[in-house]
Amino acid sequence: MPASDRTRKAPGASPMKRILSHLSAEGLIIGAIVFWYLLSLELPEIIVPRPFNVAEQMWVFFSDVNYIGHVAASTIRVILGVFIAVVLGSLLALLPHWLPVADVIVHERIKPFLNSFPSIGWAILAIIWFGPSHGTIVFIITMILTPFCLVNVSEGLKEIDHELLEMARSFTRRPVVLLFKVTLPLLMPYIISAIRIAYGVGWKIALVAELFGSESGLGFLLQQAQSVADSATVYATCFAIVLIFWVGEKIVIDPLSRKFSIEKAAG
Amino acid sequence: MASSTLDPARRQARLAGHIFVIGFLALWILYSSLVESYVMPGPWLVLSRLGLMFTDVHEIGHMFYSFAHIISSVVISFVIGSALAFLAHYLDIFEMMVHGRLSPFLNSFSGIGWTFLAIIWFGISDVTVIFVISMVLIPFAMINMREALVNLDQERIEMSVSFTRSGWRQFRLIVLPSLYPFIFATIRISFGVAWKVALTAELFGGNTGLGYMLNLARQDFDMPLVLAVIVVIIAFVYSTDRWIFVPIQAHLARHHASV
Repeated sequence: MPASDRTRKAPGASPMKRILSHLSAEGLIIGAIVFWYLLSLELPEIIVPRPFNVAEQMWVFFSDVNYIGHVAASTIRVILGVFIAVVLGSLLALLPHWLPVADVIVHERIKPFLNSFPSIGWAILAIIWFGPSHGTIVFIITMILTPFCLVNVSEGLKEIDHELLEMARSFTRRPVVLLFKVTLPLLMPYIISAIRIAYGVGWKIALVAELFGSESGLGFLLQQAQSVADSATVYATCFAIVLIFWVGEKIVIDPLSRKFSIEKAAG
Repeated sequence: MASSTLDPARRQARLAGHIFVIGFLALWILYSSLVESYVMPGPWLVLSRLGLMFTDVHEIGHMFYSFAHIISSVVISFVIGSALAFLAHYLDIFEMMVHGRLSPFLNSFSGIGWTFLAIIWFGISDVTVIFVISMVLIPFAMINMREALVNLDQERIEMSVSFTRSGWRQFRLIVLPSLYPFIFATIRISFGVAWKVALTAELFGGNTGLGYMLNLARQDFDMPLVLAVIVVIIAFVYSTDRWIFVPIQAHLARHHASV
């Protein structure tokens, strides 16, 4: 088949194609579980636990009060980290907008520095500086997420309609009114996009941070399970994070994203 | 020469940037003189440890190990990610499987999760490190290459059909060159992410590399070494991006911008 035909997508897929698509997609999941089960029959429990044992352990995560506490601890830290990083990143992005002399400081000094700073470096430094605590974990998450938010909000500031801002200035000179009534609503799609990225990265970072400096949270559970060779809990923790991440994205991030889409901001 | 052509506002901003760096260094010196060196060593101590790192063959070896882990993982993840993106693009029935199931799953699976699983499967080894970095990078490659394929110029491909009917010749002479900017962007992103993931993977699951060195330094409270490793990473990530990737990408964008 020529490349041109293959690269051109049909406007509406035929029912047969749709069925085959679903078959291949769900088949992958079923196939992976079957393969996992067969592997677990051959290999020791410590290397590949049975899928049922992992599912059982996952259920414990969401039904046992003690485990729910760990899930809640990680979730609260991620939410706090994301919130502070979004506020800090937005302020840093807005600084050159208000004070052009700060442009090089923010975009050529702070941004590349924070962007290239390794996450594990922040984790080690924060534990040495502040000791293990909830605040330390939130600090680590915040430091890693801030550059993502800074980049996104800065892009938003470049893209927003500057004529609208000019017009707003002809109505009022009060910077607070301009910020809350015009600039921030125009920036909302970019802030939401920053939240989406920060939320995804935040979960991954929270685990690393909790491995070093915490006695609660899913990262702590992962560490504990690994040290006693409890493979089912290691697997269950990994899948629980995927599940929590997915639920959070579907019930919070996606609705927020729909509410503040670029089209709505422009309209 | 270049600075003389800058407008006054830009010159002021540059000056503010330099003052900021000097202020940062002054604060660092001041703080390090007030606390113990295991909490915050001074810049000189870190600089001298950095010098030692580049004279010790053993430590240079660890840097090369990290580099080897990263290069191997970037290549592996690019090949796998691109193959999956091509599969989904050219065979419609696999699109939902690749981009609707596999990609979101891999994207939301944490790097530390892969590390712990890889330790169980492969033990503490180079294989574990390369596996972890590759698993984290594959979704980046999949997503980027998907964008590349979606953005292919259909008119240019149609034109190529009038010159040849050979699918391979069309792919080699038209499709592949059109993908160069995206291929490069994928490698650039992968390289930046790989450095950060490599440290975590080497720290928990490796017995070589800068992450392993960082782990030893952390256990010994050797803060000058911790900061020296961080400085090496920052310098490496920043300079490769600024002086290697950005110019090459700009060159590719100039030659393939119409794609």
